Amino acid sequence: MASQSIIEADNLSKRFGDKAAVDEVTFEMRRGEVFGFLGPNGAGKTTTIKMLTTLLPPTSGSARVVGHDLRTEGKKIRERIGVVQQQDSFDQGLSVETSMDIYGLIWDVPKRDRRTRIDEVVKRFGMKDFLKMPTIDLSSGQRRRLQVAREFLHDMDLLFLDEPTVGLDPLVRRGILDYFKEKVKEGLSIFFTTHILEEAEYLCDRIAVINQGKIVQVDTPENLKRRFGRAKAVEFKLLEGTSKELSERLSSSDEVSKLIQDEVSGTYRVTTSRPEIVIPEIYRLAEKYGLSVSSIYIAETTLEDAFINLVTVDDVRRPVNS
Amino acid sequence: MNVYARLVYRNLRANLDKLSLFFELFFPLFFVFVQGSGLGGIIPPLDIGNGRIVPYQLFLAAGAVTLTVINAGTNAGTQLWFDRKNGMFEQILMGPFTRAQYILSIILATLIIGIGGSLLVFLLAFPVLGTGLHITFQGQLLIGLALFLGTLFFGGLAIALSVALKSSETFQVVSTFVFFVFLFTSTVFYPAGNAPPILQAVSYLNPLTYATDLFRAGIFDAFTSLIPIEAGILALEGAAVFTTAVVAFRRIRV
Repeated sequence: MASQSIIEADNLSKRFGDKAAVDEVTFEMRRGEVFGFLGPNGAGKTTTIKMLTTLLPPTSGSARVVGHDLRTEGKKIRERIGVVQQQDSFDQGLSVETSMDIYGLIWDVPKRDRRTRIDEVVKRFGMKDFLKMPTIDLSSGQRRRLQVAREFLHDMDLLFLDEPTVGLDPLVRRGILDYFKEKVKEGLSIFFTTHILEEAEYLCDRIAVINQGKIVQVDTPENLKRRFGRAKAVEFKLLEGTSKELSERLSSSDEVSKLIQDEVSGTYRVTTSRPEIVIPEIYRLAEKYGLSVSSIYIAETTLEDAFINLVTVDDVRRPVNS
Repeated sequence: MNVYARLVYRNLRANLDKLSLFFELFFPLFFVFVQGSGLGGIIPPLDIGNGRIVPYQLFLAAGAVTLTVINAGTNAGTQLWFDRKNGMFEQILMGPFTRAQYILSIILATLIIGIGGSLLVFLLAFPVLGTGLHITFQGQLLIGLALFLGTLFFGGLAIALSVALKSSETFQVVSTFVFFVFLFTSTVFYPAGNAPPILQAVSYLNPLTYATDLFRAGIFDAFTSLIPIEAGILALEGAAVFTTAVVAFRRIRV
């Protein structure tokens, strides 16, 4: 019987000189899940992917990926995974269509299957308009689509996606995320990194947050929000639109960590851990400056709130008021 | 399909510019027909060993064929360079291939270009020059050996340069300079025996000299007792440079 885990990492580390890029990371990813790997820039996400895809040897620790040992069965692992790198990767001397066909060929996909699969991804990724274009002439978004699409030409059990939607417009991005979801329903497992936390929330079953090379938390998006989304957002509007005095006074409050105003809608958004104090303060200030609060409510905690709490150390947690 | 066949096909399709390939063929032919016919009238026929005396244009034509080997070698470095620049190097290494398979596929693609290109130049040049050549079986072996070892040497050298140099511009400039040095200190354009002593010494270290000598011996049936020694030196130089290239390649950081 196949193991329920598709990745088992045990104290996996990668050092570059004195610096630990990944520091004794231990986690388990289950078959058939979308596993998010979130962290700030330089946290160790890409290095972890490079180790798990056998591109970089670990300095210490061990891992099993798709049931094979990372150190001794690299080729067997690579036969069953797909990778969309963070950086561009394309064959510059070919058209989009030919480059996909040759990519399928090097994966030993039979010609008939290549044709069928290319037709499918071209349709799903909206690539028809630039199918005959040389890859060198593509925009970054088109090139990104090609890079993601061609990975679905070959069979795999596990797909590593390292910020796959960078440079894509929202409509294309949503279409691609939905395609990932379909593939997961068909049995694919996805290891996913992104800086767009709405994407992680939309796609991931579980999320590991990595910071400074260490995993600080692994949980479902809901649980992360519940456990670590301490900061709440209070949103309100003034009948009079804006008030400089109220903004300044509210920003200087100890209970307010961030204040922003949407210039289009006029809505104020206050980030605070103590909405029960801030809301009466808003009303008090409004009355003091002769203003009227037309609407006020506590916004739902986002994954971003939880993420910021998890990766921000105490002494820098408080953002600059704005 | 065999893994090498797949990778070689991809290298040939993805990393080779058709226009560049055309000029790589045109370049040696230019030497044969323009320089060869121009200088042929003022340079007397040359003794290439084993009692064989050939006109300068034919002497140069044989050298020009081995020149294709250098161009093919540059292609090996260019293939690796493009793959690294365009992210395909890492992409392929995260696929079902080993590093050894990848680098061998580049060498094999280079050999195809080198040997194929040389034979094409050979086929285009010699009938026009009107020589009734009768190449013996031993000659065919020598021609094959010259092209194989020459391509291996220059392919390995270009790969090592491609790994060592940090930008594509530097790679292009340095490789062009290095290959010009090899070209003009070899026996492609003139026999080493007539050159000044210092140039002779450099020429006898130059693998292109040996590749060219083996090739000439093959097509003109000019086998001498020196040929096995020259083949041995070329094989040693090729092995040394190829080993250096493989070691350099293994150290590429991803």
